[in-house]
Amino acid sequence: MTTPRTPMNPLLPFIMAGDPSLEALPGILSAARALGLEAMELGLPHSDPIADGPVLQAAAHRAIQRGATPRRVLESLAGLTDSPDLILFTYVNPLLQIGTEALVRLLAPTPVKALLVVDLPYGEEPTFEADLRAAGYPMVPLLTPTTTLERARGILADRPDPGPEAPFAQRFAYVVARLGVTGTGQGTDLSPVARRVADLQTLGARPLAVGFGLSDAESLAAIRALGATPVVGSALVQELASGLDLQTALLPRWTSAT
Amino acid sequence: MTSGFTLPSRFGLQGLGGCYAPETLLQPLLDLEAAFVAALHDPAFQGELKAELRHFVGRPTPLTPAPRLAAALGLRSLHLKREDLTHTGAHKINNALAQALLARRMGKTEIIAETGAGQHGVATAAACARLGLSCTVYMGVTDMARQAPNVARMRLFGAKVEPVEAGQGTLKEAVNEALRAWAGNCNKAHYILGSALGPHPFPTLVRTFQTVIGEEARAQALEQCGALPEVVLACAGGGSNGLGLLVPFLQDPLRRIAVEAGGHGAGLGEHAARLDGGRMGVLHGCRTLLLQDDHGHTAETASISAGLDYPALGPELAALILDGHVEVRRASDEEALEGARLLCEAEGILPALESSHALAVLPALAREGVTSVLLGLSGRGDKDLSTYQARTGVSA
Repeated sequence: MTTPRTPMNPLLPFIMAGDPSLEALPGILSAARALGLEAMELGLPHSDPIADGPVLQAAAHRAIQRGATPRRVLESLAGLTDSPDLILFTYVNPLLQIGTEALVRLLAPTPVKALLVVDLPYGEEPTFEADLRAAGYPMVPLLTPTTTLERARGILADRPDPGPEAPFAQRFAYVVARLGVTGTGQGTDLSPVARRVADLQTLGARPLAVGFGLSDAESLAAIRALGATPVVGSALVQELASGLDLQTALLPRWTSAT
Repeated sequence: MTSGFTLPSRFGLQGLGGCYAPETLLQPLLDLEAAFVAALHDPAFQGELKAELRHFVGRPTPLTPAPRLAAALGLRSLHLKREDLTHTGAHKINNALAQALLARRMGKTEIIAETGAGQHGVATAAACARLGLSCTVYMGVTDMARQAPNVARMRLFGAKVEPVEAGQGTLKEAVNEALRAWAGNCNKAHYILGSALGPHPFPTLVRTFQTVIGEEARAQALEQCGALPEVVLACAGGGSNGLGLLVPFLQDPLRRIAVEAGGHGAGLGEHAARLDGGRMGVLHGCRTLLLQDDHGHTAETASISAGLDYPALGPELAALILDGHVEVRRASDEEALEGARLLCEAEGILPALESSHALAVLPALAREGVTSVLLGLSGRGDKDLSTYQARTGVSA
């Protein structure tokens, strides 16, 4: 018997911590929760974001210039309860420099539920990853256009689904929609990712989120139609940086959820 | 799941190196390692590489005695391994050509490369022209300005030079952009990394293709001098030249010294000396000694030499240093300029600013009682003429 797949979460937005400002972050998270968002990706700005396109590079640069260091970002999240579950999207070096114990202490009072570390394949830092998982911070598995189905099976087993009782943030696998880096990518051809999502859905009931190059309401709706959660990042970051509030930016993308 | 790699990806007692790459690049890196291992065992590839190194690159390069400079410094003997005499004028061609052959063998039609001083970019552009591959080189805007002749050479060879404006506009940003470009086009393109850094298998690949320098030098020293020197000496940015010269001497009872760029000061941001100033960290796919701030953000660097102006030491060289197999010295911008002047006047050879850092420590070694040195002259200094003119007051 198979149960029909329904995405647990119709939209997974990404924002960059410290852009437009760290002070604005609690308000943005609170607005996100008011919109009914279950989870959200929060970028930790890094000096050398090798998987990011121009928009997120610039946002990270602005945030660092304004003093959004990894510690200050995590400290600014301490005690926040009016927030979606957060997935910390980052690169490995800032986390290694903080160290496992201090990192767990910093994460404990925050809404962070999982980590997405772009440049950390499973097995490169086994103790670090195992300790964080044990402390309640699993790493989100990434599946890309170059990931063969066989490799995907291994990756999903290495970073397993904790099961339906766990929140979406700790369960989902991130499907990268296209080759290359993050970005708004007008006119991204979605047929390859549609095939890949269908293939990956044969591997199990794990929720899938799809990101990289999605920005307009139609692309997001097309991902939902596959039974997956669309990620909107660069386009949203651009709009927030230009002064738009979260609700105004997300509403057109949100209402098409139905 | 095992990583799927067959070669060791870690170096030394502290396990430097590794493969900290985004998932998009994992399969391309696995494919690259498999092709590399197959090529190493294929006599046809080896024969092709050997023939190209001889007829196109101009190997073997000479081991030149430098008796006047030796006498001026108080050394009994000084020999220069002349990578400056290779086609395109630096050791970079050894690796660029070999990787281009490997790329063609893998069916790749496009080549991506990063460059700092421009020597790796020129070498890659030349190798691509020779093999009929299209070539795009990413180069920081600061480096494009200070190494303008090399930008022109790349373009003459038909390469597209993409200016990288981010950050300081130097090698680190060029590597960032090349990695991004490769992730976007990894089905058709091969990324020819020029230094012994990056995610596995790049450090091993680059070191393997560069050890021809030390293998030749060792045989030449034995043949020409009947003995090995007390010290083998090379400059080190990422480590392609340092490893290329020093690794074949690892089993010998002599001192191996790598020279880092001391820049114009001792503070973070004023130099590119990773041993004293660096901490363990991850940049560009590998764990190694890295100049960084307290937050794990990569620090700015400074050096008169674009080729040494990089915040991380290649992981294998860093491991050899930390495990006591290689010593490290640093030379400041001023000392490097003085080293270049000495060689120009005593021997009639214009060294690259990178190689000048190795020359710069010779006076100190002589004072310490060293009598014989084999020095890796990694490249020629034509590209640096404008800097030499500006900094030494020599006019055109």
